[in-house]
Amino acid sequence: MEPARSQHEQELQRLTAGEDEVVAAIAQRRKLAGLPMWLWGVIVLFVLVGLFFIPGGAKQELEIAAEFDLEPLVELPTIGPFDLSITKAVVYLWIATAVIVVVAIVIARNIKPHPSRFQYAMEALYELAYDGITASVMKSGVSTWFPYVGAAFFFILVNNLVGLIPLPFGEHHQLSFYAATANLNVTITLALFTFLFTHYAGMKKNGPVTYIRNWMPKGAPPVLREFIFVIHIVSEVFRLISLSVRLFANMVAGHAILAVFFAMALIFQSYLAAVVLQGGSVLIYMFEIFVAVIQAFIFAILSAVYLGGALDQEH
Amino acid sequence: MDAEAAKLLGAGLSMGLGAVGPGVGLGILIGKALEGIARQPEVSGDIRTNMFIGIGVTEAVALYAFVVALILIFVA
Repeated sequence: MEPARSQHEQELQRLTAGEDEVVAAIAQRRKLAGLPMWLWGVIVLFVLVGLFFIPGGAKQELEIAAEFDLEPLVELPTIGPFDLSITKAVVYLWIATAVIVVVAIVIARNIKPHPSRFQYAMEALYELAYDGITASVMKSGVSTWFPYVGAAFFFILVNNLVGLIPLPFGEHHQLSFYAATANLNVTITLALFTFLFTHYAGMKKNGPVTYIRNWMPKGAPPVLREFIFVIHIVSEVFRLISLSVRLFANMVAGHAILAVFFAMALIFQSYLAAVVLQGGSVLIYMFEIFVAVIQAFIFAILSAVYLGGALDQEH
Repeated sequence: MDAEAAKLLGAGLSMGLGAVGPGVGLGILIGKALEGIARQPEVSGDIRTNMFIGIGVTEAVALYAFVVALILIFVA
Protein backbone atom coordinates (compact mmCIF):
# COMPACT_ATOMS: atom_id res chain seq x y z
CA MET A 1 0.00 0.00 0.00
CA GLU A 2 2.65 2.49 1.10
CA PRO A 3 4.72 2.64 -2.11
CA ALA A 4 1.60 2.74 -4.25
CA ARG A 5 0.29 5.72 -2.35
CA SER A 6 3.52 7.66 -2.60
CA GLN A 7 3.53 6.90 -6.31
CA HIS A 8 0.05 8.36 -6.53
CA GLU A 9 1.16 11.47 -4.70
CA GLN A 10 4.15 11.80 -6.92
CA GLU A 11 1.88 11.59 -9.94
CA LEU A 12 -0.39 14.25 -8.48
CA GLN A 13 2.56 16.48 -7.73
CA ARG A 14 3.86 16.05 -11.24
CA LEU A 15 0.49 16.94 -12.73
CA THR A 16 0.00 20.05 -10.60
CA ALA A 17 3.60 21.22 -10.93
CA GLY A 18 2.81 23.60 -13.79
CA GLU A 19 -0.27 25.02 -12.08
CA ASP A 20 1.45 27.88 -10.31
CA GLU A 21 3.00 29.03 -13.56
CA VAL A 22 -0.36 28.92 -15.31
CA VAL A 23 -2.01 30.97 -12.54
CA ALA A 24 0.85 33.47 -12.72
CA ALA A 25 0.55 33.63 -16.50
CA ILE A 26 -3.19 34.33 -16.26
CA ALA A 27 -2.57 37.02 -13.66
CA GLN A 28 0.12 38.47 -15.94
CA ARG A 29 -2.22 38.46 -18.89
CA ARG A 30 -4.75 40.50 -16.96
CA LYS A 31 -2.11 43.21 -16.62
CA LEU A 32 -0.89 45.52 -19.34
CA ALA A 33 2.41 47.37 -18.83
CA GLY A 34 2.35 46.54 -15.12
CA LEU A 35 -1.13 47.92 -14.43
CA PRO A 36 -4.23 45.74 -14.05
CA MET A 37 -6.73 45.87 -16.87
CA TRP A 38 -9.58 47.51 -14.94
CA LEU A 39 -7.29 50.43 -14.08
CA TRP A 40 -6.64 50.93 -17.80
CA GLY A 41 -10.39 50.94 -18.36
CA VAL A 42 -10.85 53.66 -15.74
CA ILE A 43 -8.03 55.73 -17.31
CA VAL A 44 -9.59 55.45 -20.78
CA LEU A 45 -12.97 56.44 -19.34
CA PHE A 46 -11.47 59.51 -17.66
CA VAL A 47 -9.75 60.53 -20.88
CA LEU A 48 -13.00 60.21 -22.82
CA VAL A 49 -14.94 62.22 -20.20
CA GLY A 50 -12.17 64.81 -20.27
CA LEU A 51 -12.41 65.04 -24.05
CA PHE A 52 -16.13 65.67 -23.68
CA PHE A 53 -15.42 68.94 -21.84
CA ILE A 54 -12.82 70.25 -24.29
CA PRO A 55 -14.60 72.60 -26.70
CA GLY A 56 -14.41 71.55 -30.33
CA GLY A 57 -12.93 73.52 -33.21
CA ALA A 58 -14.66 75.81 -35.67
CA LYS A 59 -17.99 74.61 -37.02
CA GLN A 60 -17.73 73.51 -40.61
CA GLU A 61 -20.51 73.04 -43.11
CA LEU A 62 -20.53 69.60 -44.65
CA GLU A 63 -21.84 68.89 -48.12
CA ILE A 64 -21.74 65.17 -48.70
CA ALA A 65 -23.31 65.59 -52.11
CA ALA A 66 -20.30 67.72 -53.11
CA GLU A 67 -18.15 64.59 -52.84
CA PHE A 68 -19.96 63.22 -55.88
CA ASP A 69 -19.92 66.39 -57.97
CA LEU A 70 -18.11 66.00 -61.25
CA GLU A 71 -16.24 69.15 -62.11
CA PRO A 72 -14.16 68.86 -65.27
CA LEU A 73 -10.44 68.69 -64.56
CA VAL A 74 -9.61 69.31 -68.21
CA GLU A 75 -12.18 71.15 -70.33
CA LEU A 76 -12.75 69.56 -73.72
CA PRO A 77 -15.35 70.41 -76.38
CA THR A 78 -18.77 68.80 -76.46
CA ILE A 79 -19.47 66.69 -79.53
CA GLY A 80 -23.19 66.14 -80.05
CA PRO A 81 -24.67 64.88 -76.77
CA PHE A 82 -21.27 63.78 -75.46
CA ASP A 83 -19.32 66.04 -73.14
CA LEU A 84 -15.72 64.93 -73.58
CA SER A 85 -14.33 66.83 -70.58
CA ILE A 86 -12.07 64.81 -68.32
CA THR A 87 -13.69 64.52 -64.91
CA LYS A 88 -12.46 62.62 -61.90
CA ALA A 89 -14.60 59.63 -62.87
CA VAL A 90 -12.62 59.39 -66.11
CA VAL A 91 -9.33 59.63 -64.21
CA TYR A 92 -10.44 56.88 -61.84
CA LEU A 93 -11.33 54.66 -64.79
CA TRP A 94 -7.89 55.30 -66.29
CA ILE A 95 -6.20 54.45 -63.01
CA ALA A 96 -8.15 51.20 -62.67
CA THR A 97 -7.40 50.25 -66.27
CA ALA A 98 -3.70 51.00 -65.78
CA VAL A 99 -3.59 48.89 -62.61
CA ILE A 100 -5.25 45.94 -64.36
CA VAL A 101 -3.03 46.18 -67.45
CA VAL A 102 0.21 46.49 -65.47
CA VAL A 103 -0.65 43.64 -63.11
CA ALA A 104 -1.76 41.41 -65.98
CA ILE A 105 1.43 42.07 -67.98
CA VAL A 106 3.69 41.57 -64.97
CA ILE A 107 1.96 38.31 -64.08
CA ALA A 108 1.88 37.00 -67.64
CA ARG A 109 5.60 37.73 -68.17
CA ASN A 110 6.83 35.94 -65.04
CA ILE A 111 4.77 32.78 -64.74
CA LYS A 112 6.82 30.24 -62.81
CA PRO A 113 6.12 26.59 -62.02
CA HIS A 114 6.81 27.39 -58.35
CA PRO A 115 4.57 30.42 -57.88
CA SER A 116 5.61 33.38 -55.83
CA ARG A 117 3.13 34.72 -53.29
CA PHE A 118 1.85 37.38 -55.67
CA GLN A 119 1.41 34.91 -58.50
CA TYR A 120 -0.35 32.52 -56.12
CA ALA A 121 -2.80 35.25 -55.06
CA MET A 122 -3.53 36.16 -58.67
CA GLU A 123 -3.99 32.51 -59.59
CA ALA A 124 -6.49 32.16 -56.75
CA LEU A 125 -8.42 35.20 -58.05
CA TYR A 126 -8.37 33.83 -61.59
CA GLU A 127 -9.62 30.49 -60.35
CA LEU A 128 -12.40 32.27 -58.44
CA ALA A 129 -13.40 34.09 -61.63
CA TYR A 130 -13.24 30.96 -63.79
CA ASP A 131 -14.46 28.11 -61.59
CA GLY A 132 -16.27 29.99 -58.85
CA ILE A 133 -18.17 32.46 -61.01
CA THR A 134 -18.36 31.40 -64.65
CA ALA A 135 -18.16 27.62 -64.65
CA SER A 136 -20.34 27.19 -61.56
CA VAL A 137 -23.44 28.81 -63.12
CA MET A 138 -23.04 28.35 -66.90
CA LYS A 139 -23.82 24.97 -68.45
CA SER A 140 -22.27 25.68 -71.85
CA GLY A 141 -20.14 28.37 -73.44
CA VAL A 142 -17.91 28.81 -70.39
CA SER A 143 -14.71 29.29 -72.34
CA THR A 144 -16.46 31.58 -74.86
CA TRP A 145 -17.91 33.93 -72.28
CA PHE A 146 -15.32 33.74 -69.50
CA PRO A 147 -13.31 36.63 -71.05
CA TYR A 148 -16.29 38.96 -70.64
CA VAL A 149 -17.36 37.78 -67.18
CA GLY A 150 -13.79 37.69 -65.89
CA ALA A 151 -13.02 41.11 -67.33
CA ALA A 152 -16.16 42.56 -65.74
CA PHE A 153 -15.21 41.00 -62.40
CA PHE A 154 -11.66 42.32 -62.37
CA PHE A 155 -12.60 45.72 -63.77
CA ILE A 156 -15.29 46.32 -61.14
CA LEU A 157 -13.15 44.86 -58.37
CA VAL A 158 -10.19 47.13 -59.13
CA ASN A 159 -12.46 50.14 -59.65
CA ASN A 160 -14.14 49.59 -56.28
CA LEU A 161 -10.83 49.10 -54.49
CA VAL A 162 -9.19 52.12 -56.13
CA GLY A 163 -12.20 54.09 -54.92
CA LEU A 164 -11.19 53.37 -51.32
CA ILE A 165 -7.84 55.13 -51.72
CA PRO A 166 -7.99 58.90 -51.20
CA LEU A 167 -6.64 60.63 -54.31
CA PRO A 168 -6.13 64.36 -54.94
CA PHE A 169 -9.07 64.99 -57.26
CA GLY A 170 -11.36 66.81 -54.83
CA GLU A 171 -12.06 70.52 -54.64
CA HIS A 172 -8.79 72.47 -55.05
CA HIS A 173 -6.96 69.13 -55.41
CA GLN A 174 -7.76 68.02 -51.88
CA LEU A 175 -7.60 64.34 -51.10
CA SER A 176 -11.05 62.84 -51.50
CA PHE A 177 -12.82 59.54 -51.94
CA TYR A 178 -14.53 58.73 -55.17
CA ALA A 179 -15.08 55.62 -57.19
CA ALA A 180 -15.84 55.42 -60.88
CA THR A 181 -18.49 52.83 -60.04
CA ALA A 182 -20.24 55.43 -57.84
CA ASN A 183 -21.29 57.05 -61.12
CA LEU A 184 -24.50 55.85 -62.71
CA ASN A 185 -23.15 56.34 -66.25
CA VAL A 186 -20.34 53.86 -65.65
CA THR A 187 -22.53 51.20 -64.08
CA ILE A 188 -25.22 51.55 -66.76
CA THR A 189 -22.55 51.09 -69.43
CA LEU A 190 -21.35 47.93 -67.71
CA ALA A 191 -24.90 46.64 -67.34
CA LEU A 192 -25.60 47.43 -71.01
CA PHE A 193 -22.65 45.25 -71.98
CA THR A 194 -24.18 42.35 -70.07
CA PHE A 195 -27.61 43.09 -71.56
CA LEU A 196 -26.33 43.18 -75.14
CA PHE A 197 -24.03 40.18 -74.79
CA THR A 198 -26.83 38.15 -73.18
CA HIS A 199 -29.17 38.62 -76.13
CA TYR A 200 -26.38 38.36 -78.68
CA ALA A 201 -25.28 35.03 -77.19
CA GLY A 202 -28.83 33.72 -77.03
CA MET A 203 -29.65 34.73 -80.60
CA LYS A 204 -26.39 33.39 -81.97
CA LYS A 205 -26.81 30.01 -80.36
CA ASN A 206 -30.57 29.44 -80.75
CA GLY A 207 -31.33 31.65 -83.75
CA PRO A 208 -33.14 34.99 -83.25
CA VAL A 209 -36.69 33.68 -83.84
CA THR A 210 -36.34 30.59 -81.68
CA TYR A 211 -34.66 32.64 -78.97
CA ILE A 212 -37.53 35.09 -78.69
CA ARG A 213 -40.20 32.41 -79.16
CA ASN A 214 -38.71 30.52 -76.23
CA TRP A 215 -39.68 33.42 -73.97
CA MET A 216 -43.24 32.09 -74.27
CA PRO A 217 -43.74 28.80 -72.43
CA LYS A 218 -44.99 26.15 -74.90
CA GLY A 219 -47.53 24.44 -72.67
CA ALA A 220 -49.37 27.57 -71.50
CA PRO A 221 -52.84 28.53 -72.85
CA PRO A 222 -52.96 31.26 -75.56
CA VAL A 223 -53.69 34.46 -73.61
CA LEU A 224 -51.50 33.54 -70.68
CA ARG A 225 -48.63 32.92 -73.10
CA GLU A 226 -48.60 36.48 -74.40
CA PHE A 227 -48.98 37.79 -70.86
CA ILE A 228 -45.90 35.83 -69.73
CA PHE A 229 -44.06 37.10 -72.83
CA VAL A 230 -44.70 40.71 -71.75
CA ILE A 231 -43.68 39.95 -68.18
CA HIS A 232 -40.48 38.44 -69.50
CA ILE A 233 -39.65 41.58 -71.49
CA VAL A 234 -40.31 43.74 -68.41
CA SER A 235 -38.03 41.53 -66.33
CA GLU A 236 -35.29 41.80 -68.96
CA VAL A 237 -35.44 45.59 -68.69
CA PHE A 238 -35.47 45.42 -64.92
CA ARG A 239 -32.37 43.24 -64.97
CA LEU A 240 -30.61 46.11 -66.71
CA ILE A 241 -31.84 48.59 -64.09
CA SER A 242 -31.14 46.40 -61.07
CA LEU A 243 -27.69 45.39 -62.29
CA SER A 244 -26.59 49.00 -62.72
CA VAL A 245 -28.41 50.54 -59.77
CA ARG A 246 -27.20 47.87 -57.34
CA LEU A 247 -23.53 48.59 -58.00
CA PHE A 248 -24.06 52.35 -58.17
CA ALA A 249 -26.13 52.57 -54.97
CA ASN A 250 -23.77 50.31 -53.04
CA MET A 251 -20.75 52.42 -53.87
CA VAL A 252 -22.55 55.74 -53.30
CA ALA A 253 -23.98 54.58 -49.97
CA GLY A 254 -20.60 53.27 -48.84
CA HIS A 255 -18.77 56.45 -49.74
CA ALA A 256 -21.48 58.64 -48.21
CA ILE A 257 -21.31 56.71 -44.93
CA LEU A 258 -17.51 56.98 -44.91
CA ALA A 259 -17.75 60.73 -45.55
CA VAL A 260 -20.30 61.15 -42.74
CA PHE A 261 -18.13 59.22 -40.31
CA PHE A 262 -15.03 61.19 -41.22
CA ALA A 263 -16.89 64.49 -40.89
CA MET A 264 -18.93 63.66 -37.78
CA ALA A 265 -16.40 65.37 -35.49
CA LEU A 266 -16.84 68.60 -37.45
CA ILE A 267 -20.62 68.33 -37.24
CA PHE A 268 -20.75 67.66 -33.50
CA GLN A 269 -17.73 69.85 -32.69
CA SER A 270 -16.55 67.48 -30.02
CA TYR A 271 -13.28 65.65 -29.49
CA LEU A 272 -15.15 62.79 -27.82
CA ALA A 273 -17.19 62.19 -30.97
CA ALA A 274 -13.99 62.45 -32.99
CA VAL A 275 -12.21 59.72 -31.02
CA VAL A 276 -15.17 57.35 -30.97
CA LEU A 277 -16.25 57.89 -34.56
CA GLN A 278 -12.78 57.68 -36.06
CA GLY A 279 -12.61 54.20 -34.55
CA GLY A 280 -16.00 53.51 -36.10
CA SER A 281 -14.85 54.77 -39.47
CA VAL A 282 -12.08 52.17 -39.48
CA LEU A 283 -14.70 49.45 -39.05
CA ILE A 284 -16.86 50.98 -41.81
CA TYR A 285 -13.79 51.14 -44.05
CA MET A 286 -13.09 47.44 -43.54
CA PHE A 287 -16.74 46.68 -44.30
CA GLU A 288 -16.43 48.75 -47.48
CA ILE A 289 -13.50 46.60 -48.63
CA PHE A 290 -15.76 43.56 -48.14
CA VAL A 291 -18.57 45.29 -50.06
CA ALA A 292 -16.20 46.19 -52.91
CA VAL A 293 -15.28 42.53 -53.39
CA ILE A 294 -18.84 41.26 -52.94
CA GLN A 295 -20.32 43.72 -55.44
CA ALA A 296 -17.78 42.77 -58.11
CA PHE A 297 -18.57 39.12 -57.40
CA ILE A 298 -22.34 39.67 -57.59
CA PHE A 299 -22.14 41.67 -60.82
CA ALA A 300 -19.99 39.01 -62.48
CA ILE A 301 -22.03 36.06 -61.25
CA LEU A 302 -25.35 37.66 -62.26
CA SER A 303 -23.88 38.37 -65.70
CA ALA A 304 -22.90 34.72 -65.93
CA VAL A 305 -26.37 33.63 -64.76
CA TYR A 306 -28.07 35.79 -67.41
CA LEU A 307 -25.68 34.59 -70.12
CA GLY A 308 -26.21 30.97 -69.09
CA GLY A 309 -29.97 31.49 -69.10
CA ALA A 310 -29.87 32.87 -72.65
CA LEU A 311 -27.61 30.10 -73.94
CA ASP A 312 -29.51 27.18 -72.44
CA GLN A 313 -33.12 28.30 -72.54
CA GLU A 314 -35.86 26.48 -70.72
CA HIS A 315 -38.47 25.21 -73.10
CA MET B 1 -45.52 71.51 -43.75
CA ASP B 2 -43.60 73.09 -46.59
CA ALA B 3 -42.41 71.18 -49.63
CA GLU B 4 -38.79 70.94 -48.52
CA ALA B 5 -39.70 69.36 -45.20
CA ALA B 6 -42.03 66.90 -46.89
CA LYS B 7 -39.23 65.93 -49.29
CA LEU B 8 -36.76 65.22 -46.48
CA LEU B 9 -39.38 63.37 -44.47
CA GLY B 10 -40.28 61.27 -47.50
CA ALA B 11 -36.62 60.48 -48.17
CA GLY B 12 -36.04 59.35 -44.60
CA LEU B 13 -39.22 57.29 -44.55
CA SER B 14 -38.46 55.66 -47.90
CA MET B 15 -35.00 54.56 -46.77
CA GLY B 16 -36.14 53.42 -43.33
CA LEU B 17 -39.24 51.53 -44.41
CA GLY B 18 -37.52 50.26 -47.54
CA ALA B 19 -34.78 48.68 -45.46
CA VAL B 20 -37.20 46.63 -43.32
CA GLY B 21 -38.20 44.08 -45.95
CA PRO B 22 -34.75 43.37 -47.38
CA GLY B 23 -33.37 43.18 -43.84
CA VAL B 24 -35.82 40.44 -42.89
CA GLY B 25 -35.26 38.78 -46.26
CA LEU B 26 -31.50 38.76 -45.94
CA GLY B 27 -31.77 37.34 -42.44
CA ILE B 28 -33.97 34.47 -43.61
CA LEU B 29 -31.83 33.89 -46.69
CA ILE B 30 -28.47 33.74 -44.93
CA GLY B 31 -29.92 31.78 -42.03
CA LYS B 32 -31.30 29.13 -44.36
CA ALA B 33 -28.03 29.01 -46.29
CA LEU B 34 -26.07 28.46 -43.07
CA GLU B 35 -28.56 25.79 -42.05
CA GLY B 36 -27.97 24.06 -45.36
CA ILE B 37 -24.21 24.29 -44.99
CA ALA B 38 -24.42 22.90 -41.46
CA ARG B 39 -26.50 19.95 -42.68
CA GLN B 40 -24.39 19.27 -45.76
CA PRO B 41 -20.92 20.78 -45.50
CA GLU B 42 -19.85 18.99 -48.69
CA VAL B 43 -22.02 21.24 -50.91
CA SER B 44 -21.09 24.44 -49.07
CA GLY B 45 -19.48 25.88 -52.22
CA ASP B 46 -22.67 25.64 -54.28
CA ILE B 47 -24.80 26.94 -51.43
CA ARG B 48 -22.49 29.90 -50.91
CA THR B 49 -22.55 30.83 -54.59
CA ASN B 50 -26.34 30.71 -54.75
CA MET B 51 -26.54 32.58 -51.45
CA PHE B 52 -24.54 35.44 -52.94
CA ILE B 53 -26.81 35.56 -55.97
CA GLY B 54 -29.78 35.73 -53.62
CA ILE B 55 -28.12 38.41 -51.51
CA GLY B 56 -27.53 40.50 -54.62
CA VAL B 57 -31.14 40.23 -55.73
CA THR B 58 -32.60 40.85 -52.26
CA GLU B 59 -30.30 43.72 -51.44
CA ALA B 60 -31.25 45.49 -54.66
CA VAL B 61 -34.69 46.16 -53.13
CA ALA B 62 -33.15 48.19 -50.32
CA LEU B 63 -31.01 50.03 -52.83
CA TYR B 64 -34.08 51.01 -54.86
CA ALA B 65 -35.33 52.68 -51.68
CA PHE B 66 -31.95 54.38 -51.34
CA VAL B 67 -32.12 55.67 -54.89
CA VAL B 68 -35.68 56.92 -54.32
CA ALA B 69 -34.43 58.76 -51.23
CA LEU B 70 -31.61 60.33 -53.27
CA ILE B 71 -34.05 61.36 -56.00
CA LEU B 72 -36.38 62.89 -53.41
CA ILE B 73 -33.57 64.94 -51.87
CA PHE B 74 -31.61 66.04 -54.93
CA VAL B 75 -33.91 65.84 -57.95
CA ALA B 76 -37.59 66.14 -56.96
